[in-house]
Amino acid sequence: MITSILSAMVPILLAALGGTLTERAGVLNIGLEGLILIGAFFSVVAVSATGSMVAGLLAGAAAGVALSAVYSVACIELRANIFVAGLATNLFAAGMIPFLSETIFGTRGVVRIAHDASRVAGYPAIRTAVFALGSTAIAAAVAAILYRTPLGMRIRAAGGNPDALAVRGVSPLRYRRITMLASGAFAGLAGADIVTRLGVYVPNISAGRGWIALVAIFLGARNPIGVVAASVVFAGFEVLSGAAQGFTNVPGTLLLGVPFLVTLAAMIVYSVFGRRTRIQGQPSPNE
Amino acid sequence: MNRQQSLLPSVVAVAIGVAVAVGLLVVGSRDPAQSLRAYFVSPFSNRFFFGNMLSSSGYLLVAAIGIIVAFRAGLYNLGGDGQIYVGALVATYVALAMPGLPAPVGTLVLLTASAATGALMAAASGAAKHLWDAPEIITSYLLSAALIPVADYAIAGPLRDPSRSLLASARIPSAYRLSRLLPPSELNTSALVAIALAIALFAWIERTTRGYELRMTGMNRDFAAYVGISRAGYTIGALAVSGALHGLSGGLMIAGTFHAAVSGFSLGIGWNAIAVALVARLDPLLAIGSALLFGYLEAGARTAMLQTDFTFQLGMVVQAVILFFVTGSVLIRSRRR
Repeated sequence: MITSILSAMVPILLAALGGTLTERAGVLNIGLEGLILIGAFFSVVAVSATGSMVAGLLAGAAAGVALSAVYSVACIELRANIFVAGLATNLFAAGMIPFLSETIFGTRGVVRIAHDASRVAGYPAIRTAVFALGSTAIAAAVAAILYRTPLGMRIRAAGGNPDALAVRGVSPLRYRRITMLASGAFAGLAGADIVTRLGVYVPNISAGRGWIALVAIFLGARNPIGVVAASVVFAGFEVLSGAAQGFTNVPGTLLLGVPFLVTLAAMIVYSVFGRRTRIQGQPSPNE
Repeated sequence: MNRQQSLLPSVVAVAIGVAVAVGLLVVGSRDPAQSLRAYFVSPFSNRFFFGNMLSSSGYLLVAAIGIIVAFRAGLYNLGGDGQIYVGALVATYVALAMPGLPAPVGTLVLLTASAATGALMAAASGAAKHLWDAPEIITSYLLSAALIPVADYAIAGPLRDPSRSLLASARIPSAYRLSRLLPPSELNTSALVAIALAIALFAWIERTTRGYELRMTGMNRDFAAYVGISRAGYTIGALAVSGALHGLSGGLMIAGTFHAAVSGFSLGIGWNAIAVALVARLDPLLAIGSALLFGYLEAGARTAMLQTDFTFQLGMVVQAVILFFVTGSVLIRSRRR
């Protein structure tokens, strides 16, 4: 039970950490879902080409960076509306993957990782421990960077007080760009983690984790350590709703909606009792 | 995304989107010439394809003006896809539950049910925003994503017509169906309803006091509230109207084309509608042209898929590329910072 919660926590946490960085720099990252998805797919491509899990993780992160580069060019260089560009990121991943999958694997559906699955999956408990500890360590590192380094201070200023940064001759856009690329790497890694853990790619394997991660950022009070706690909570509900298929009569289709419902409830509860969720730098769609 | 600006970014974005489509068709198809012909020419090749293209543009238009209402009020409704789908499902359920009504009343009842469903879903996000500042961009998506599986379940389970091989409900009474305008195509009176609604919405937004207040809320929520414009009205109300139009789009699809709720039949239209609205620079009248354009591109992508070896959702990629570029103001303005 604890093993499955920790496994479920890893991708949510990784994606949410990247999202925390962009959120602190002033960009609410609507594109996380697409970044996870593209990372998952390219991770499968790399693993089936090389048989190496490490290659899969690297490829996932690289694919996330590549797509987030497009996303950040749209937002920063072309000054697109950040939410519309985020939607474009999600649609692009969902639309391109079937094409790439057909071209590379000859199928648009399930892709099993071709090489020895046990080498990919490793020993489940050890893998879970390594990934859970690793992602928590990354959270600590992100917290240290955000609160203890000049880089982190500038990232926070880019979101909280961009004019102060600009007055000092530092472009807030630069820090938005850096954090968006970082969040691409983190979300891509999250996708890679999902597929290398399961040993299979299925369409839409991200299954809303990008949106869950987005809410985990708020629930974690936009602080990496809080985000760890929020990710554990969401992972717990994910495991619970998966287990519910076994011991209740609720049909499996209905349970697919439960993670979204739980996330929605969390968002509402946070908004009622937490600090007011004024999204920084939220551009009006009408501007 | 300044509405008053020229249409240049829209034109550039659509041109890049179409160029990407051509590139993918050439790279991904064994017979590029045939695929390109299917993509660009087939929607005009006969009455059937042409009418179907106009028909799907109509549904797209209704959803797009739903997005426009939200955007003009400064709100993001990302739940459109679910509002359309669940709205269509509820419309079908109501029509099947009340098969004996006189013809126009039955149609009106089912359309009202679909609009009310979409309105409730979107208004819930509006209420959460008004009461607790919950970001509607997140809650509208999540509520919709949570309810789509419920609709899937209803169609595959309790509402399923076991005599059909499709995952679909029973068909609604024939008296409730909208009349066809260009047989054998699907084109029906809903396309006229769509155009009328777009014109009405334009008049409402641009020519009435309430429309002015909506626009003002969209430009500056705090200032609008300061000068006494109802914050609740233009938060909950605007999202309710947005949701109602999405739901109505789903209801029109049932009454006009599908006549039954089919598993997943409308998914994707909500996202497409956002692209339609943005290419139209959030202008309901321009949305008519924009919806026709996207209806054309979608129809081309569909026939390219059916007639050739090219088998994937080209339309979604084109929409994504267009969305990347359409709000980029740098295309029309020099950089400031």
